[in-house]
Amino acid sequence: MLLAKIKEALSSLYEDIQETQEAPAADDAAAVEAEATVVEAAAEEETAAIDTAPVAADAAEEAQAKETAPEQEDAEPEEAEEPQAPPGPKETDYKAKGYHLDVDLPPEKIPEAAEILLRENFFIESITGVDWIDEQQLEAVYDFNHFDELCRVVIRTRTDRDNPAIPTISHIYQGANWHERETHDFFGIKFTGHPNLEPLLLPEDADFHPLLKDFKA
Amino acid sequence: MNGLLQQDVNQETFTLNLGPQHPATHGVLRVKLVMDGEYIVEAEPVLGYIHRMHEKMGENRTWVKFLPNCGRMDYLSALSYNHGYVAAVERAAGIEVPERAEYLRVITVELNRISSHLLWFGAFVLDLGGFTPLLYAFDDREFILDLLESVTGSRLTYCYFRFGGVYNDIDDAFIAGTREFIKKQRKRMPMYDALVTKNIILIKRLKEIGPISKDMAIRYGATGPVARGSGINYDVRKNEPYSVYPEFDFDVPVYEEGDSMARYMVRMDEIEQSMRIIEQALDKLPEGDIKPKKAVKLVKPEKGDYYHAVEAARGSFGVRLVSDGTNTAYRLKLRSPTYSNLSLYGEATKGMLLPDALALMGSLDLVIPEIDR
Amino acid sequence: MGNEVVQPPIIHFDTLDKILGLGRANSLWPMTFGLACCAIEMMATGAARFDLARFGAEVFRPSPRQCDVMIVAGTISKKMEPAVKTLYDQMPEPKWVIAMGNCAISGGPFVFEGQYGIVEGADKFLPVDVYIPGCPPRPEALIEGILELEEKVTGHRRWPRVEAK
Repeated sequence: MLLAKIKEALSSLYEDIQETQEAPAADDAAAVEAEATVVEAAAEEETAAIDTAPVAADAAEEAQAKETAPEQEDAEPEEAEEPQAPPGPKETDYKAKGYHLDVDLPPEKIPEAAEILLRENFFIESITGVDWIDEQQLEAVYDFNHFDELCRVVIRTRTDRDNPAIPTISHIYQGANWHERETHDFFGIKFTGHPNLEPLLLPEDADFHPLLKDFKA
Repeated sequence: MNGLLQQDVNQETFTLNLGPQHPATHGVLRVKLVMDGEYIVEAEPVLGYIHRMHEKMGENRTWVKFLPNCGRMDYLSALSYNHGYVAAVERAAGIEVPERAEYLRVITVELNRISSHLLWFGAFVLDLGGFTPLLYAFDDREFILDLLESVTGSRLTYCYFRFGGVYNDIDDAFIAGTREFIKKQRKRMPMYDALVTKNIILIKRLKEIGPISKDMAIRYGATGPVARGSGINYDVRKNEPYSVYPEFDFDVPVYEEGDSMARYMVRMDEIEQSMRIIEQALDKLPEGDIKPKKAVKLVKPEKGDYYHAVEAARGSFGVRLVSDGTNTAYRLKLRSPTYSNLSLYGEATKGMLLPDALALMGSLDLVIPEIDR
Repeated sequence: MGNEVVQPPIIHFDTLDKILGLGRANSLWPMTFGLACCAIEMMATGAARFDLARFGAEVFRPSPRQCDVMIVAGTISKKMEPAVKTLYDQMPEPKWVIAMGNCAISGGPFVFEGQYGIVEGADKFLPVDVYIPGCPPRPEALIEGILELEEKVTGHRRWPRVEAK
């Protein structure tokens, strides 16, 4: 099945994204554990110092329990977060949405994703942009499709609204040359590495980007 | 000079400007040519001379008020564009379409496809130098325009579909007229075949001219007759069925050679296939409503983004709409097939003779307002 | 190419002017200047059913040096405006302009608040003689427009006006 094949191929791009997300989590867990051991050591010292007075021992145990309890509480939210969907290609309901696979990537990964898709003989359908002015971000949406077996793959990437920059894929898919020029025309997204990012649909000396939400003629 | 056209002082080339006003450019297209004698060294199409801001209007106009725009994008097969936009909004808002309306949509879209291919045929042969087939093609086309005018009210830029159906029903005169037209056209096609297709001049002008390989079609995203002339069996009506197309029995003509003659033959065969679909649709036409029972008063698609593709006369027309729950679209992207088809012009014309490049441009079937939107 | 003032002739030959006017009106050569959808209706008017040839205007010349009348059929975008002006300037006198379709008259359906791309009407930079409304106008409307232009050139109308009873 083409859908499963391409989903697996694209999820390989997420491996190093997931590693960077797990590393800070591991650091946090280690820090929490370090604090707990320090607290435990302190509690043991207290119990050792006060000698086995039951009240003190109880207090120490309570103190220890209190220390471990927050540790467990800290651990529980982390465990509760894991059942959330890990980052990766998401299959969508074709009848409702019109496409099969939804892939959310950071801008640097786009050329790699395009190479994977070209290897599987996907053709580029269109590239466009969306202006999310409330979140101060510009989104670029890439549509791909396959001639032999229907499988629509949508790749999204978000970039800053003030200085938008996404690497080009016009050396992989030559058709993207014009699509990227048009997206630059309408939104101002700079595709780094593009051979000539000049206006395509607007006059040659145009310096405005009409489809931005705060464009005034 | 931009980076694409570097003048080498040792090479004796000159820059020639084709268009934007030229009898062979179908609309306002300008092509910057760097020529070495009669051979093209580099060709760069320049667009934007008829940019009419359709995508900006998609954000300014409400869902219903955008319907007239659909007819003006590609005016030769305006009903396919109506269909693409209406189907995308219906998918987003979850509106059901009654069966009779779907059949009427298919019948009118296929009639429009025939009229678009006939006009392409006339204009293409006019580019190559023959004036007579243009007059015959326009004459045949007038019958279709009469039929569609009796149903929709307009001759060229139709606005016939509404969300959930169509707005006017057909009568017996239309059905009789359509059957009459099909009979007449079936007698005409052998005449076109003998006069034009088997003409030695046309064959010499088109065979092995402007080859487009399958790999090129993938890298540029070419669809429609341009892809089907290069051996790619991709038709949105078969690969990604929508509306009631699965109920009809029709073939998709595919030719392997990839030259202009193959693209020409694909379109001539498609006329016959469209007539088959219309006949079957007229035979199977069910009774019923043409609008949904629960009238669609306010169209409010849910938040999110949606995509829908239809097979227009020139390729796969896609509509991507991002909705934010209000009564206008947040973003409406119109993926036009000729845009992707024309982008391979620069690579395909390297080293060609100028008249051959014009034959290639004609065989791509360009409608420039659709490219510029 | 600026705006030139054409000096009127010092001596008027009345009958000669009438004959020249009749000759010019009955053989208007239009320029193939179809920009958008109205161009298809212009081609249909020149084709077999509506036949512009019987009014003398069948010879659509692509070169502006050989035309009398420029039928602006379609939307004029801001990028295209200098090209249209250049073509108009290249036409030799006497010349006329017909604005065909809503877009050439006043921008058509593409005028909205905040539009950035089109010129709202050909008469913003060209002297238009006849306006033909419609989106697109029917071929019969274009023929009526040509007859109006003939009336403007000669002073009397060739065909009787159709009146609704």
